[in-house]
Amino acid sequence: MKTNRNYLLACMIALVISLISCETTPTSEGPPVVAGESRYIIASTPMASDGVADYLLTAESLTEGTVSTLGNGVEQDGTYRYYVTHNNKFFSMLYGQGNPGAVTTYELDANGSLVKKSDFQSETVQAFGPMDDDIVMVKISRGDEPMASWYRLDTEQLQIVDDGQWNQEEIANNGERAFFSWVSQVGDKLFAPYFSIKACCNDTFGTSYPDSAYIAVFDYPSMELNTVIKDNRTSFIGRYFLSGLEVDEKGDAYAFSGSIATSNGEMTSTLPSAFTRIKNGELAFDQSYYFNVEELADDYYITAKTYAGNGKFILTMKEEKGAYSTGNRFGIADVYNKTFTWVSGAPTEEEIVNVTINNYSTLNGKAYIGITTDTGSWVYEFDAISATATQGLKVEGGRITAISHLDPAE
Amino acid sequence: MQYNKILSVIFLCLFLTQFGYSQEADQIKGTVTDQEGQPIPGVLVQILELKKGLVTEADGTFRLQLSSNEDYTLTFSFLGYESKQQIISKDQRAKNLTIQLTEAATDLQEFTLLGKSELSEIREKAFNVEVVDARKLHHTNLDLGHALDRVSGVRVRESGGVGSRMNFSLNGFSGKQVKFFIDGIPMDDFGSSFQLNNIPINLSERIEVYKGVVPIGLGADALGGAVNIVTKKVRRNYVDASYSFGSFNTHRTVINTAFVDKSGFTVQFNAFQNYSDNNYWVNVDVADIETGKYYPNQRVRRFHDNYHNETVITQVGVQGKPYADKLMLGLTAGKNYAEVQTGARLVSVFGDWHRKGTILMPTLKYNKGDLFTKGLDLNINANYNFGTEQNIDTVNRRYNWFQQYKEYETEGGERSYSMYKFKNNNAVFTANAHYQFGDLHTIAVSHVFNSFNRTGSDELYPEKEIYEQPRKTSKNITGLSYQLNWEEKGSISAFSKIYKQSNFFAMAYNPTGNYGDVAYRNNKETFTYPGYGVTGSYFLTGNFQLKASFEKSYRLPEPEELFGDMVNLQGNLDLKPENSYNYNLGLSIWKQLHADHRLDFSANGFYRDAHDFIRPRLNNNQSMQVMDNLYNVTNLGVEGEIRYSYGNLINAGTNITYQNLRNNTKYEEGQTVPSLVYRDRVPNMPYLFGNADINVLLSNAFGKGNDLALGYNLLYVHAFYLYWPSLGAEKFDVPMQLSHDLSATYTTGAKGKLQLVAECRNLFDKVLYDNFSLQKPGRSFSGKIRYFIY
Repeated sequence: MKTNRNYLLACMIALVISLISCETTPTSEGPPVVAGESRYIIASTPMASDGVADYLLTAESLTEGTVSTLGNGVEQDGTYRYYVTHNNKFFSMLYGQGNPGAVTTYELDANGSLVKKSDFQSETVQAFGPMDDDIVMVKISRGDEPMASWYRLDTEQLQIVDDGQWNQEEIANNGERAFFSWVSQVGDKLFAPYFSIKACCNDTFGTSYPDSAYIAVFDYPSMELNTVIKDNRTSFIGRYFLSGLEVDEKGDAYAFSGSIATSNGEMTSTLPSAFTRIKNGELAFDQSYYFNVEELADDYYITAKTYAGNGKFILTMKEEKGAYSTGNRFGIADVYNKTFTWVSGAPTEEEIVNVTINNYSTLNGKAYIGITTDTGSWVYEFDAISATATQGLKVEGGRITAISHLDPAE
Repeated sequence: MQYNKILSVIFLCLFLTQFGYSQEADQIKGTVTDQEGQPIPGVLVQILELKKGLVTEADGTFRLQLSSNEDYTLTFSFLGYESKQQIISKDQRAKNLTIQLTEAATDLQEFTLLGKSELSEIREKAFNVEVVDARKLHHTNLDLGHALDRVSGVRVRESGGVGSRMNFSLNGFSGKQVKFFIDGIPMDDFGSSFQLNNIPINLSERIEVYKGVVPIGLGADALGGAVNIVTKKVRRNYVDASYSFGSFNTHRTVINTAFVDKSGFTVQFNAFQNYSDNNYWVNVDVADIETGKYYPNQRVRRFHDNYHNETVITQVGVQGKPYADKLMLGLTAGKNYAEVQTGARLVSVFGDWHRKGTILMPTLKYNKGDLFTKGLDLNINANYNFGTEQNIDTVNRRYNWFQQYKEYETEGGERSYSMYKFKNNNAVFTANAHYQFGDLHTIAVSHVFNSFNRTGSDELYPEKEIYEQPRKTSKNITGLSYQLNWEEKGSISAFSKIYKQSNFFAMAYNPTGNYGDVAYRNNKETFTYPGYGVTGSYFLTGNFQLKASFEKSYRLPEPEELFGDMVNLQGNLDLKPENSYNYNLGLSIWKQLHADHRLDFSANGFYRDAHDFIRPRLNNNQSMQVMDNLYNVTNLGVEGEIRYSYGNLINAGTNITYQNLRNNTKYEEGQTVPSLVYRDRVPNMPYLFGNADINVLLSNAFGKGNDLALGYNLLYVHAFYLYWPSLGAEKFDVPMQLSHDLSATYTTGAKGKLQLVAECRNLFDKVLYDNFSLQKPGRSFSGKIRYFIY
């Protein structure tokens, strides 16, 4: 770690020197460089059954126009890729079924085009999230050995600066295994909500503990397990490959449970889909806070969330339970006031084929969510205050897998 | 030279009927035999004065009608034998001739085409079939896969060097959609120890490639074609042994020998071995083992890619008995070891993971012609494979291309901690009978039974119940065909096949409804599908043939696709068969330009309309692949071949294939608007490729009876996109490939022959890819020594 700090320091010094030297260089006669415009980055997966690769598209607006993958976009290698944006860099991560492979990093140039910055090698991971200036990635075992591997990626150096392993069985400590749904920064700690899985006996993702929520809390950057916190008012937080935890402007963390634990293929959670809270700085569930969304939402449960700021979540909901189901109805949950409102203006449940999980939010009441219906894909602008959705940018050629935003790199 | 003869047979045959009606004729009968008195079928009998001729029957006999008042000269010729002339004077008319041919001093058949009886037989089948004369390649170091790669319409893609995974494609169908046979026996489940990538070309006499429509005799569920590897017919004693050594520490040995007693007692023995370190150089971005940072474009050697296999095939039996033309009992035994160097991309590299496989397969072959009645032939084959496959991944390390590694203390593997070992207990039984009556008609029936029963265990997890559950499947495919055959003019045949599959497996359920309870209940499912087809061929003139064929075919899901492979593939018990309508139209022209100049031309057009393509996708939690019925494609294509020969001196040819594979799924699931990639070219599939070759034979080089053969082969594959061509601006592709191979073969000796071969593959050391990022070997050299007595 010390060497890394030194390296960073050296980089910064180098940067400062170069900036100074730039300033002292007499300016050329050409026109002054205009600071480029920012762009929205949209990842799209073709609606096809074979030979599928994602394409990264850029758009100036999410509320109007059309963007197509036909002869356009930056092809991504590997069928299944996932994306994260951190420190104004766009990371295209692979999901290579256990194989390591190249993670590609992009920045935006002054012309609004994506420029490949560098590749680095990473393992296939099932959870990843920004943590300070790093991205933490976790490769989680569902198979035979109960060890999860974690990696800390430095987003400046674009390389892995530390790695180690966690014992998923020891973390679960119930005879089953902890399977992290996601990792999120909460204060100076890394929170890893998990679900308990059998990891055996032809029922890998089944559990005998369907009515508990767990979060493994790790110190940072040591990545040592600090504690495991548990709550029996909801089932597990988040879902496979999907974050269920969000930190608001006050530093409080809100967690949703879809209540979708299974055993031998049957839904076994008995508790409602609800929000719980961990207050800023605490390492325990706030027992005074419980928000039963399912009750207010006509017995629909939460499949995914996008935080729109000021305590308002745009929830993707579904009536019939399933461990991997895509929600097809939208609601606004105000976790401060414990109110729930159905959204108007979105396509109907019958029309919806897919809803994007990795969406863009301005955190001031507006968020942009990708929706695919039987006639195509669009970005919808959701207004969390008025509980309305408006059709925006049309994305031709497939499902939207991620919506993000980049400013031009300096 | 042999082209000449074939041409003349076909040409002369046309006149035979007229000839038969000439007036004042004497009937002349005769038999052609070899030195031991065994009849030789297919000998060309020419009447020089009339410029006409015929070939001998299966029992070596021939029959002529000659005008009573003239002298005639008959010449008898057959490959491998000295030609013989016999004068039939008008005064002395022996009514029953016996002609004995003596074996030729030079064994030219090694360099010439098929025996014509076989070739013409295959041609008369009216199927779109291409025949590779394997004997012409016996001096090379090719395995079956690489030999097939030179056939028009065929593209064999490999992931690395010796023993690496091969994906065979034929007119746009690939993988399991094309079936492989050895002497008519399906090769489906021979395991990794006996496959295209390790069987040497010397084991086969010829390879028949059926495109689109497969005869019922090969009664399997091929979607778009079949390859039948025909091994040597043993009629006499022979020894053929070779050893080669080449680049990347590659050693190969092949021994083929047979003993045939006068009594008909036959022992046949084939053994082969391949060994290679496959440590060829590749260009790759090497990741730092700690930080993942790439050192771009490094040139490194492959270091964990050793492959070796050893296989012995022994057959004992009798030939030429009243109860059997051939009855052979055999045992195929072998094993292979393969280290796994990379994953799907070159950047994912392994250093300890390896696989092992064995084959232990008793075989039975029975064949009898004229059973009970003349014209009724019966063939029966059976085999059972006791072989095993094992995946060994027990070292918890992460390697990079600099061979550095990081080791973890816990148990684990490089990919998935495993020592899973399984047995598929595969049984195959095939029977076919055909009955020829009234000269023109043939009825044939065939049946193939295939059974699979997987048992497996992993010593790392002795308690795992999943390994104990039944995974069984059986296939029964029955075919019936009727053929009308006008030998000289053409033939037409219609056939039908019934495909039946039964699957027996266990499903988990919860017997009590309480948490955590699990039990298994056994399920049995049976499916039946009908297929049919029609084929025809017609000689417009003696050297111009037209062929057309059609089939509706099915391919049933493989056991592995149904039950998974326990490593990367999850089973899918809901799989339906793939099916396809296959159409073919072909023409062939043989043209003798001059005494020594000969030109052959053939062209085939084909159309495939295939549905429910079985393709891999990721499963729900995206941990494994699962096979599914995904989409429809059409393929309209054309392939052509042209060959020229000048006597025995030069033989040159080229072939080219263009296939237009298009996505024919208009609406993707859940969509009411047409898919953006509807009618787009199917990605990651070569669509324009070809071969060219030239061979020069210098007879009597460096002394009489010594031959020097020089060969050159060019392979061309047009670049193709990895993903849908119409999408994206910055794209990944597999670049154009151009590979040049050279060989020189020196043959010496009279009876027993000694052959010395030098070969260079990929002469210009080009970086070649068949699969995205997976580089194939650069320039390699090998030398081979071969000794054979026939």
